[in-house]
Amino acid sequence: MRTLIVSLVLLIVSVSSAVAAEELTISAPGQQTLPLALTDFIPTPGQTPNPALMNEFQQILKYDLELSGLFELVNPDSFLGDAKRIGLRSVDVNFSEWRLLGADLVLKGTYRMDGDRLVIVPRLYDVPRQKLLYGVPVVGDRASIRNFAHELADKILEALTDETGPFKAKIAFINNSTGNKELYLMDTDGHGVVRLTAHGGIVLNPDFTPPPQREISFTSYKRGNPDLYRRELRSGVESVISRRSGLNIGGRFSPDGRRVALTQSQSGNTDIVIIGANGRGRTQITRHWGIDVDPSWSPDGKELAFVSDRRGNPHIFIVDDGGEKVRRLTFEGKYNATPAWSPKGDRIAFTRLENRRFDVYTIRPDGTDERRLTFGAGSKEHPRWSPDGRFLVYSNDVSGKKAIWIMRADGTGGRPIHTGQGVSQHPTWSTRW
Amino acid sequence: MKKIFAILAVAALVAMVGCAKQAAPGSTVDDQQVAGAGQTQGSGGGTTGGSGVQSQGGSAMPAAPAAMERVYFDFDQYTLSADAKATLEGNAAYLMANKSVWVKIEGHCDERGSDEYNLALGEKRALAVMNYLVSLGVSKNRLSVISYGEERPLVAGSSEAAWAQNRRAEFVKN
Repeated sequence: MRTLIVSLVLLIVSVSSAVAAEELTISAPGQQTLPLALTDFIPTPGQTPNPALMNEFQQILKYDLELSGLFELVNPDSFLGDAKRIGLRSVDVNFSEWRLLGADLVLKGTYRMDGDRLVIVPRLYDVPRQKLLYGVPVVGDRASIRNFAHELADKILEALTDETGPFKAKIAFINNSTGNKELYLMDTDGHGVVRLTAHGGIVLNPDFTPPPQREISFTSYKRGNPDLYRRELRSGVESVISRRSGLNIGGRFSPDGRRVALTQSQSGNTDIVIIGANGRGRTQITRHWGIDVDPSWSPDGKELAFVSDRRGNPHIFIVDDGGEKVRRLTFEGKYNATPAWSPKGDRIAFTRLENRRFDVYTIRPDGTDERRLTFGAGSKEHPRWSPDGRFLVYSNDVSGKKAIWIMRADGTGGRPIHTGQGVSQHPTWSTRW
Repeated sequence: MKKIFAILAVAALVAMVGCAKQAAPGSTVDDQQVAGAGQTQGSGGGTTGGSGVQSQGGSAMPAAPAAMERVYFDFDQYTLSADAKATLEGNAAYLMANKSVWVKIEGHCDERGSDEYNLALGEKRALAVMNYLVSLGVSKNRLSVISYGEERPLVAGSSEAAWAQNRRAEFVKN
């Protein structure tokens, strides 16, 4: 597959011949976009067409693929006869038509009902090489149409980059539209919002367990004190992870899911501790009179980024998981917060408060190459990475109240995905759902 | 008002240190009076206006305010200002005069700053208040702390005036 991609990229280079080859990595959005023809899927012969259903499917697929930043969608108005032809085998596709339109990729497909089951057969072709890149059918009940579309978008990204997309996943967040702060779940495009908790108080700062568990942790005041809980998403069963006096906040599962880093203050001082994911065991990681909060694990589970005011203003620091050595990461700005280590480990996202609003930045874990990702009105807070590191989800109050937004990891493509009633904040992105 | 509290609090402390045993029988009556006043002034929120000082008529009795007052903090600070200390001295006098009152000290922040950091900051504020009350002689057993960070603002809005009112510690009777 890699050689195919390389040759695909090389072909594009040879056509455009404008950019140096080493810059052309398809996994970096915004640098090089591939012209993709996204055709309407066609009912197989004898099937009653269901244009409404398939239109929904195409819209979701289009949204995801556009968001990825990897593609430039060929205008469907320019499509020629092949877009309407059902032939899916490579010998059936009229590649010269697509080449004429400048498409390097074409996605065709058919659908049919098999009893209650919807069967969608996609075909993604490399136009210059006239080769099938992806064509695994998806089968399921028609109510799962949104999942089908997100899954196909993920697979298309995987076919082109060897790394699956993050779209068939969930985003958990906090919303106060009931009058209390409760935990919610939604699709990565903001559809299908479901409330999970009814604690009637304050629920904050969720975090998913790593796969394969489908559990989520959060802080809740339901027993009066800010305690850390975990909840099994299918059954809704909740159990306590940390219930010490004082704060039990900012819980983050280690990459292997066995440990939880959080802030406790039982000693009267707020420090980072690591406990077992079952609540047992305890290692104090920071010991300082200042405020230490917001731990975020490195993907190898050996280090934690966190916020501390030990030098006066809140800055980002890094500590090893034994609490032996602390080093300072950020030096710019007067108020840096909410670090989030990228799943690839190469960057740490955080926010900086300046001129009364937060903006999102990233920096390398060695403290170099700081970049500002967001600009303009609105306070952007609490960035969290998609599991593939391609996107960041965060809150933005540009509309006057906090809503959930999403953008590419380079700061482009920012857009709201959930702007419903009430204040929405503290988003976090699950792994594949 | 704050200065009066400070003076009264100092007087109360002197009185307590100097003649605690002699004052004890009379203070029972005083407890009831003040507790009654506190109830009529409202419950739930716990913090009331601190509208006045109970005059005891006699000269030996320690005077105490009718209720505990909230205290305020500067941005990103949990140190107690002179004003805050004066208010707390009044609150301490109240607690000394009302031995049956147990108090939860709530630490709060304005909306600026990150949520987690503000939860920690709110707790630092509540603890600073508790420690000062303890240093004034209030039993630690009667005090507990909780932080709400920026989750429970007193007033809505994003003005300096709103923020100043929201950076506070509140006193809720348990």
